[in-house]
Formats: sequence, C-alpha cells, structure tokens
Amino acid sequence: MIILNKIISFYYREYKLNLSGFQDILTNIIFFFVSIFIFIFSIGPDKETISSIGIGIVWTLLLLSSTLSLRKFYQDDFENGNLLIMHLNGLSFGFIAILKTFSHFIFVQIPFLLSIPIACILLNIANDKLIYLFSSFVIGSFILSCLGSISSSMNLMNQRNFLLGSVIVMIFSVPIIIFSVGVVNLEENFNSLISILFGILLIVFAINPWASGLCLKLALENN
Amino acid sequence: MKFLVNPSKFNKFADNVFLPVLILSIILFSIGLIFSFYLSPDDYQQGSTVRIMYVHVPSAWLALLTYAIMTVYSIVGLAFRIPFGFIINTAVAPIGAVFTLICIVSGSLWGKPMWGTWWVWDARLTSVAILFIIYLVIIFMNLSFENRIVREKVVAIFVLVGSINLPIVKFSVDWWNTLHQPATISKLSKPSIDPSMMIPLIVMTFAFIMVGLAIAILRIKSEIISRKSNLN
Repeated sequence: MIILNKIISFYYREYKLNLSGFQDILTNIIFFFVSIFIFIFSIGPDKETISSIGIGIVWTLLLLSSTLSLRKFYQDDFENGNLLIMHLNGLSFGFIAILKTFSHFIFVQIPFLLSIPIACILLNIANDKLIYLFSSFVIGSFILSCLGSISSSMNLMNQRNFLLGSVIVMIFSVPIIIFSVGVVNLEENFNSLISILFGILLIVFAINPWASGLCLKLALENN
Repeated sequence: MKFLVNPSKFNKFADNVFLPVLILSIILFSIGLIFSFYLSPDDYQQGSTVRIMYVHVPSAWLALLTYAIMTVYSIVGLAFRIPFGFIINTAVAPIGAVFTLICIVSGSLWGKPMWGTWWVWDARLTSVAILFIIYLVIIFMNLSFENRIVREKVVAIFVLVGSINLPIVKFSVDWWNTLHQPATISKLSKPSIDPSMMIPLIVMTFAFIMVGLAIAILRIKSEIISRKSNLN
C-alpha cells in the first residue's frame, strides 16, 4: 500500500508540474502544426501529392516534435535534486525510469494524439485511415517515450552537446517509422505489422528500466 | 590469455607483436592487391568491376567484427568491472567507422555501373548506414562528456543497446527481398564462389585484419598512456 501511495503522489506531482508549465506542451504542438504548414508550402498545395505523402509527414513531425521535449525528461529533477529524494524514499532507479516514461507518455504524447485529427484534415488524409493512424501512434509514441528515457538519462552529464540525445532517439526510431507508416499504408497487412510494432514495444520496454536506471545511478554518483 | 583484459600485459604483448603484424600486413596487402588486380579473372557479367568486391567485402566484415568486439568488451567492462573493456571501446570505434565508410563508398562505386544508381533504400544498405551513424555517435559521445567514469559507462550502455543493429545487418538479405545479393561465402553449406576469386578475397581479408590490428594496437597503447597520466 505504501508503494501505491508513493506512485500516486509521484503522478500528482507530475500533474502539478505539467499544469504549471502547460505552455511548454502547447509550444510543442504549435511546432508540430507550424512544421506541417512549412511542409505544405515547400511541396505546393497539390491535393493528390499531399494526401499520398501525408502519413509520412505526420509521423516524421511527431517524431521530431516529441524529441524536442527530451531535455525536460530528467534534467530538471536531476538539477534540483528531486531524483535523489525519490530514490531516498525507496523507489529504485529502474522504477523511477518506468514511472517517468509513463508520465512522459501521458503528459507529452497524449496531447499529440488529440491533435492528430486536425493534422489529418490539413493534410487531406482519408477518414478511414484515421483509426490505423491512431492505433499505430498509441504504440509508437510509447516506444518513443521509452527511447527518450534511455537517451535523456544517458545525456544527463553531457553539458556540451545535448543534440546527441535527439540523434540517438532518431537512430533507434527508424524501424518504428517504417512499421507504423506501413500499418497505415498497407491496410491488408494490419495484423502482422501491428504485431511487429508491439514486439518492438515489448523489447524496448524491457531494456528501458535497465539502461536508464544504470545511467541515472551513474549520473547521481558522479555529480 | 591475460593480455586480453590486463593493460600492462597487453602493453608487453603489443610490443612483441606490433612489428610482425605490420610486416605481415604489408606483405599480405601487396600479394592481395597483385592477386586481385592481375591474377584473378574478370567476371562474365560484371567484367572488371568485380575487383571492387576484394575491398568491399573485407571492409564490411571488419566493420561488423569491430562492433561485435566492442559489444563483447562492453559486457566485460560493465559486468566484470574491468576498465580495459572501456579502453578498447574508446580506441576501436574510429577504426570501425572508417571500415564502414570504406564499405559504403566502395559499394556505391560498384553500384553505379552495375545497378545504375549510387544508392538504393534497401534493407542492407540502410542498416549499414545506420551502423555508420551509430559509430559516429559513439565517437561524439567520447568527445563530449567531461567526466571520464560516466563517459565510458554510458558509451558501453549505448554500444550494448546499439548492438540490436548487428543481426539486422547480417540477416537483412535473408529477411527481406533486397537488391543486395545474399551471403555467398559465410553461409553454412559450400560457398558458391569460384576458388580463383576466393583466394584473393581471403588474402585481402587477412590483410585488412592485420592493418586493423596494427592501428588498433597503436590506438589502445596511446589510450592506456593517456589514462595513466590522467589526461582526460
């Protein structure tokens, strides 16, 4: 029961923090839409072209804008000492990583989920593809959260070159992009592709607490 | 076999081995180049461009082998707390990057006359390009951390996570329909390559291994010295 209390208070704190800093998440979403506008201006307003490459544009921009918020993943808690306090209260580093990953999924990726229908209207994507896009994004964004947790915990002590964190996420997100765009475009293979995507999710979710926990421990020990 | 995990034993071993390795690499390279340029026959379809294979295939093998060595030494360094594993990681990554670059460049030089294009988005080519980017990220990580203890462990974790890419590179030609041809030599049954082309390929492979070993010995020795004097 004590551990449940700790988890609830952890999420209550995350909720408070994200509510007070709501403009950051809004800025991410505005970045997403502005990049869609720029894409359309650079391609030209031809409806056929836009709807044929629309899914790829949506997925690329979702990936780019979710890597923008990586800096806030652990950095704030690390610098003001909250990470250490959480660990002293009996949460192991791997468990902190899992909790943080869920919190990133809920507070950063879910707003993107809500803004996908508007993006589909702008990019002229057919309505019957929306359900495939949703289902691929729910799985894919959770994979992106896990990868973000790994890369941002790796770069906690890296003061010079933080862009490396985004590059790490992008390298490992290549198969996710391939399969989740495939889910939407090849509807007849929906079941097999979504199974592969789910398998990737399980692998990454298994690696995440181990790798991020070790990196968090290293950073706190050598700070 | 203690020289594989102990820096001072490695230094002694390297002093004995370095000169023979260097001489052997020069000899093997000259024999291999003579074989591959003059003594091996032209292919009946590809003509003379088949000779690019004698550089392309060994460098591809060595790129994979270097990453596999780095993976093993990351496990050794993290699990058994042997710092020599991290020394190897730091020293060997640029060598692997250069081998991968040679592989990509020679492959695209071959692809232009044969496939009619420098680059295709095919599974083998893409995964090798990702391998190259992973090598670059490892090098940049080595440059950008200030704390040495954090740096070496974080790089080792990244190497372990990135080793997912290795089986993808190896089996991409079997799993997907690729333009790149499937394995002809390293498959389990009898290799489907003629002995007149097999011999220069094997000689060139050993020459590449010797060159890589010579450079690796130099880099590992300098890395050991810089750690002893606490340069970074």
